[in-house]
Amino acid sequence: MKYTYKPSPNYRQKQSTISIMRDLTVCLLSIVLFATVYNAIRYGFATGMRVILMTAAAVITALVTEAAYFKVTGAKDIVTEVRHSFGWVTAIIMVLITRLDVSIYAIVISTVICIIFGKLVFGGFGQNIFNPAAFGEAIIMNSFAASKAANITADVYSGATPMTAMNSYGWVMENSVFEEFIQQFGGLGNMMIGNYPTVIGASCAILIIICGAYMMWKKDIDWHLTVTYILSIFCISLVVGLIHGEGLWFAIFNLITGGVLFCGIFMMTDPVTTPITIPGRMIFAFGAAALTLIIRWKANLPDGALYSVLLMNMLTPAIDKMIKGNQIKEAKQIRNEVIIAGVVCTLVAILVGAFLEGKTPVVASSSAPASALSSEDFSSTNVSCTDQGNGVYACSAKGFEGVNEATVTIENGAVKSIEVTAFNDTPGVGDMATAEGELARYAGATTSSAIDSTSGASFTSTSLRAMVYEALTMAGE
Amino acid sequence: MSLLTGPMRHHLDGHKDLTLTKPVLKTIDPDVVWIPLTNGNAPCKAVVNIGDEVKIGTKIAERNDRFFLPLFSPVSGTVTAIEKFMTSGMTQAEHLRIQNDHKNTTVRAFEPFDYEKASWEEVLDFVKNAGMLGLGGAGFPTYVKYLKPENVDLFIVNAVECEPYLTADYKNIEENISLLKTGTLALFKLSKAAKGCVAIKEDKVDQIAALKETFAGTPIEVRTVPNLYPMGWERTLVFQLTGKRYGMLPIEAGCILNNASTAIALGNAIDNGMPITHKYVTVSGDAIKNPQNVLVPIGTKAHEIIDACGGFVENMEDVLLVAGGPMMGKAIPNDQFVIAPQNNGLTVLKNIKNEEVKCLRCGRCTETCPSGLQPVRINFAQKRMDLEELETLSVNDCIECGMCTYICPSKIEVTEGVRRAKRFLRAKAAPGGKK
Ligand code: SF4
Ligand code: SF4
Repeated sequence: MKYTYKPSPNYRQKQSTISIMRDLTVCLLSIVLFATVYNAIRYGFATGMRVILMTAAAVITALVTEAAYFKVTGAKDIVTEVRHSFGWVTAIIMVLITRLDVSIYAIVISTVICIIFGKLVFGGFGQNIFNPAAFGEAIIMNSFAASKAANITADVYSGATPMTAMNSYGWVMENSVFEEFIQQFGGLGNMMIGNYPTVIGASCAILIIICGAYMMWKKDIDWHLTVTYILSIFCISLVVGLIHGEGLWFAIFNLITGGVLFCGIFMMTDPVTTPITIPGRMIFAFGAAALTLIIRWKANLPDGALYSVLLMNMLTPAIDKMIKGNQIKEAKQIRNEVIIAGVVCTLVAILVGAFLEGKTPVVASSSAPASALSSEDFSSTNVSCTDQGNGVYACSAKGFEGVNEATVTIENGAVKSIEVTAFNDTPGVGDMATAEGELARYAGATTSSAIDSTSGASFTSTSLRAMVYEALTMAGE
Repeated sequence: MSLLTGPMRHHLDGHKDLTLTKPVLKTIDPDVVWIPLTNGNAPCKAVVNIGDEVKIGTKIAERNDRFFLPLFSPVSGTVTAIEKFMTSGMTQAEHLRIQNDHKNTTVRAFEPFDYEKASWEEVLDFVKNAGMLGLGGAGFPTYVKYLKPENVDLFIVNAVECEPYLTADYKNIEENISLLKTGTLALFKLSKAAKGCVAIKEDKVDQIAALKETFAGTPIEVRTVPNLYPMGWERTLVFQLTGKRYGMLPIEAGCILNNASTAIALGNAIDNGMPITHKYVTVSGDAIKNPQNVLVPIGTKAHEIIDACGGFVENMEDVLLVAGGPMMGKAIPNDQFVIAPQNNGLTVLKNIKNEEVKCLRCGRCTETCPSGLQPVRINFAQKRMDLEELETLSVNDCIECGMCTYICPSKIEVTEGVRRAKRFLRAKAAPGGKK
């Protein structure tokens, strides 16, 4: 009988880092599956398969990159090293925060860069400073913006995501306008179940919340950070919303879009790049919440969440250093630090939010008296017309998500008729403006006429007015 | 135990059902016992010579430095040798060899004693001369705690037994509940405390009822505590019962604690005039054939106890033989050590290789450390030999409870890293140490 010596304790809990990563992988794959099915149903089988293709490309690249790295650095047991490095988790997360139209080529290159420069050069798993997936996605966005998969662009992402659409409004708008605005995405409820275009994995709020709750229940992730982050986002945007007289929608919209939930549950909980202690994590969360919203509102970057992670990652060592000594003896000081950080971050974000100014990309509401065509600015519609003779002009102008085309006939310096030849805005929404009765309102219009937008279809209306105005100007020359 | 520090304790799978309901094996009567001539780190001096006849209850040795502690023979027979070997605390110490004549002749060590009538000083003297010591693991002479009992609010008998696998205290209480009552009331008198209580885990429903019945009509309350580790540790227990934290000693929070086994031993000394001669020891774990509690003379060798419990399970080649519970007990690399008074368990575990991966900075060790430390940062700083950072991390507040290693999902020897950090700091602080 051999009596082995080992230092105490000789007792271990069941949960292991390997089991944590397994749970995380399962959750991530369930989101991949959702995205596959969703895209397949909405855009066709090939588009759905693309999700799987992108995931597979990233995972394989990550594994190969790590294996090669360990081979080069002379590791003895390469398989074990790769298994203990958990590169595939990074790869899947990166794909899930990417848009579906990014080319495979961009995915592969970014994965290699993020695995090597985001993780391995720091000393591998456990040592990296930046969240490697966020690092990889930042590379994709900044270096491969142009590298879109050609066949996919047109049908999937011709439209705006809620984030970009909201951005063009400058974030604040009247409640009635929001009602109308959110209809293009089928309403907030529809968004909760993920039925709207955004990055691959961030759409289905409900699925993400279920995954988060599961992992918190299994103690795979620490709830303090996620809950603090999400509550902060919610509270800050609720207050900002109240300042501007917005309803609850403002807080909910800010919470469920732009990858906040995905980021809070899958990225901020990456323990490697966040502070070690609970108070440290709460400080991190306060900072990240404020940054997410400020970046989103002020810098017009819809991916505020992503950048906030990367920025806060840089502060992680400093936050760790703040929490010193025996947490029981230092309890008061630690509590004060957390409270100060929370209050400062929240106030700054609220202050920034308070000075948001609504933009009006179009005549936003029918309640405002319409101004003369000649005093409207149609430059954002890229309107153009070609003279086809006999006062007939073939025109096109950008509406909400697509470019609409119409034939405008001019007689004696006034509109005789307008006929829509191609409609590319949201069916059931924008086409209210192209109804026969609505089009009849353009008859007799001159450049000094004022024409009201069709309520609920202001983008499409604007494109029509732009075409009318352009045709009138050309006829006048 | 707050929102910000994390729970600072954790429920462990106790495996107590392995031994809890089984009867205690009392037939072990070894031919030879070896009495460790040591207490704490101090040696004890034999007061018998080789060749002397001894009886159960004969005084054989005493510690006589800053503290006083007598030791007594657990068997009748002849003193035959003094030899040096490894103790259950993994230090080398002299052991007094006594050949057992199996006659069990007994001598009453103490005169009948009525603690109720006796003065406070007489009770203190009795406790001192009876050789009472902390049987929960510390082995510290009991009387020392009671030398200056001032402003004591709460006297606590600790029956929590939070180490996994161990049920020795439970069995001891079950079989000797009236001795527990005597000992507890005597210690309560000694503590001059305003209130007294017996603390026990809330899941021990039967025993709670029995204790309540026993202590009915006395000033001693039965208080239940949650089934968490390290609930039996003085600081955690005092905080649980009073909401107070303290610097060095529990008396700063107005508390004095003793282990339930110690109270029972004192009860035995008062009622029966006998010193500590035998110990309830839990033999358990996943590598022992018949897990059970045994009652053995002090100085019984570990291998005899293992044999009496049926030896190891089949096909076992490599085990961890832990003196005590698996959290704080030490794995001893042989089976020749003996049961000392403060030992209460032998945990025999399969030696499984843990798949260690890199630290993922998950912070679990930090959340559960009962001392509020950050074991992970202590480990990192120790590896970097970063003296400056180590000095900010209160390394010496670590009680080596083992929680950080237990909880670590990456299966890192976190506790051992903290120990290394302690040694590193001690070496730096020592005169002549490199700074
Ligand atoms: S062994 Fe020390 S550092 Fe680790 S949990 Fe226990 S007290 Fe904390
Ligand atoms: S529990 Fe283990 S893996 Fe987690 S922070 Fe502590 S040492 Fe690192």
